[in-house]
Amino acid sequence: MSDPVGLALTVLALLLAATVVTACFNTSLLRKIAHWPLIVACGSAAVVALVLLLKVHDAAGDAAVRFVSEPVTWFQAGKLAVNFTLTVDPLSCVMLAMITFVATWIAIFSGSYMHGDRGFARYFAVMGLFVFSMCGLVLANNFFLLIAFWEGVGVCSYLLVGFYYDKPSAAAAARKAFLVTRLGDTGLILGLFFLWRLTGYATTDLTTSFDLIARAVRDNPAKVEELTAACLLLFCGAVGKSAQFPLYVWLPDAMEGPTPVSALIHAATMVTAGVYLVARCAPLYAMAPEAQAVVAWAGGITAILAAFFALAQNDLKRVLAYSTVSQLGYMFMALGTMGSVSPTFAVTAAMFHLFTHAFFKALLFLAAGSVMHAMGGVIDMRRFGGLRHVMPRTHLTFLCGAAALAGLPLLSGFWSKDMILEALTEASEHPGPHSGTFYTLLLVGLATAAMTAFYTFRAYFLTFWGARRIPEEAGHHAHESPAAMTVPLVVLAFGALFIGAAVEPLSGHALSHFLGRTPSLELASAAPGVHAAEAAHGFDWALAGISSALAIGGVLLAWWLYGGGGPEAVPDALAPVWVASRNKLYVDEIYHGAFVKPAETLAFISRQFDGFLDALARLISYVPRAVGLGLRPIQNGLVQFYALSMALGLAVLLSFVVFRISR
Amino acid sequence: MIGLWHYLAVAAALFGIGLVGFLTRRNLITMFLCAEMMLQGVAINLVAFSRYHGNLHGQVFTLFVVAVAACEAGLALALFLMLYRRGKSLDASDWQGLREVGVSQTLDTEPLAPAPAEEALPTLTPAGARPARTEEEPARV
Repeated sequence: MSDPVGLALTVLALLLAATVVTACFNTSLLRKIAHWPLIVACGSAAVVALVLLLKVHDAAGDAAVRFVSEPVTWFQAGKLAVNFTLTVDPLSCVMLAMITFVATWIAIFSGSYMHGDRGFARYFAVMGLFVFSMCGLVLANNFFLLIAFWEGVGVCSYLLVGFYYDKPSAAAAARKAFLVTRLGDTGLILGLFFLWRLTGYATTDLTTSFDLIARAVRDNPAKVEELTAACLLLFCGAVGKSAQFPLYVWLPDAMEGPTPVSALIHAATMVTAGVYLVARCAPLYAMAPEAQAVVAWAGGITAILAAFFALAQNDLKRVLAYSTVSQLGYMFMALGTMGSVSPTFAVTAAMFHLFTHAFFKALLFLAAGSVMHAMGGVIDMRRFGGLRHVMPRTHLTFLCGAAALAGLPLLSGFWSKDMILEALTEASEHPGPHSGTFYTLLLVGLATAAMTAFYTFRAYFLTFWGARRIPEEAGHHAHESPAAMTVPLVVLAFGALFIGAAVEPLSGHALSHFLGRTPSLELASAAPGVHAAEAAHGFDWALAGISSALAIGGVLLAWWLYGGGGPEAVPDALAPVWVASRNKLYVDEIYHGAFVKPAETLAFISRQFDGFLDALARLISYVPRAVGLGLRPIQNGLVQFYALSMALGLAVLLSFVVFRISR
Repeated sequence: MIGLWHYLAVAAALFGIGLVGFLTRRNLITMFLCAEMMLQGVAINLVAFSRYHGNLHGQVFTLFVVAVAACEAGLALALFLMLYRRGKSLDASDWQGLREVGVSQTLDTEPLAPAPAEEALPTLTPAGARPARTEEEPARV
């Protein structure tokens, strides 16, 4: 069990066991302790994942390293043979460690947050299933296995968004999340079949097929178009899962779920699955420059649009949700630079931001959950304020998370955001058809950074500063949350403050070097037409200075406008912008008019047509009844009458036969 | 010489008489006898044709017809007995209550004379018990 693949299997087994055990805990006696199996399993899985990380790190040294499990046939149909194989390489190791670590603290937090809920055991069972699927997703080395886990996390997301299923808005949000991501998943499945075709129907294993496709495209450059189509279809899946424009609409609604769910699924892990997918498929994207441009543009548009929407939201969780969408857009921007800078650098930038974002966004959501817990379920920032003395620990940890998200110098968010901006700068300097694109996206990134700082601190000031206001739902017991909730906050706050500096500048770019040892990234760097300069990056002082200035400027603006706490007053000159942002540029309404209404109309017409068909069928059923009505008087109960009719009928028949024959 | 036509004529006459009797009479037993008569008319046809064709097919078939008719008779008489016990009458038109729902009753323009009331048979009182007066058998008292 001590080989890397065995350790990865141990992680999966632990989480699956926790799920099964927790599902059995749904009895009145055991429900109170239903959180323990998941906490224990996640905690031990985190330790195992860390051991695995160190092992892979030691094994890597200076060469690429990858461990692939023995393929076990899952199913076979004609030419299609699907294996159950796992791959352990630096990329999946980092993801695995991050997921299990964050999940552990969120599980501990949930144990207290969900205390006394009717669905306590159900919550932890689904949560366990989610963490299992997510770990499976990052470890899967087969397209079909990947899809299975991909859908697994989707189902868990559906179940947890709709956790309060008796609340209509939660049920609707769950449905919306599932259906919108389904749109993207369709593309993903089509893309995977495209890739299977590109391998010459040889294999569906990720690592083997990357090699095969790379060779096929090198031999026959005309196949690039097909590859581009496949990459774009894969990206559809990523757009749906990672809530990118135009399919981001489900994520803000998904905030109907319990807050720890938002922290784990809709901030730290599941929504980053799309980023992971593109990073994992880097060898393919590196060969398809058009697909890269699309990825970069989608990321850029999403980043600035979502940041704009976050500026004027009232709901604390929605501000954070739009912020998540925006930060995911950032990651996709970095991935889009893959061909113009070295793929390793682009993927590292995206993964680094994913890594730090998981810490500070999970922290922010948990802190928001802590606020919600104390406020009796109220999350509307207009109804509370000045909570910094009521909840000092939540306040401080939220401040840490907000500062990291805003990208204030030397905190986690600063380093990772800076790396993405650096990638964009370098891509814009790289001569190529898309250098203009990347220059625009660099400006978008800087603008988004300023807006991020502004809206994060707007939320912070509105919640924690100004006069103390507490909604009546909180009753008289508005107080700091218990230790089971504040300890995870503190741990994650340390992560938010220092993890970025710890893994990059302080440790000699350990994360970059480690991720660079991923074989698929080396394959990507070898792709034709890729700017394969070694990722030797000096720190870009000018860029860091500009982004810090923008971040600090945003914070100061927020302090100037909202430093006195709520209620917010908007300068008249900015009122139209504020209204547009509050109403999210009416995108939801436009979608409703453009897609939901026509679908409803179509459903209505279909229903009417169905009714028409029913009426037709009923009409036909009236024919025998009418005939029966005509024939009924014959049955008058007189035997002689029956005999007479029989005799006469026979006579008619006979005469007919006789006269016909004789004629 | 008696030829095929004579047999057929007798058979047709038997069938015709039976048919008329079946259609006009309403006593169940008479109707049954008329039906038997029609059956025998057909049987004569079969035998005549058998002879005419010079093989035994028709005669074998007739044997079957007669056997089936015998069974029929047993069954029919048992049924008539049951019907008589229920209705105290053999009038076939008494059973027009079995007609389709919603069809009006056919009025009998020539009703039969009511059957004479049966004379009560003498019964013995069971020994050692007080004679019971029951509603089903008031005649016993």
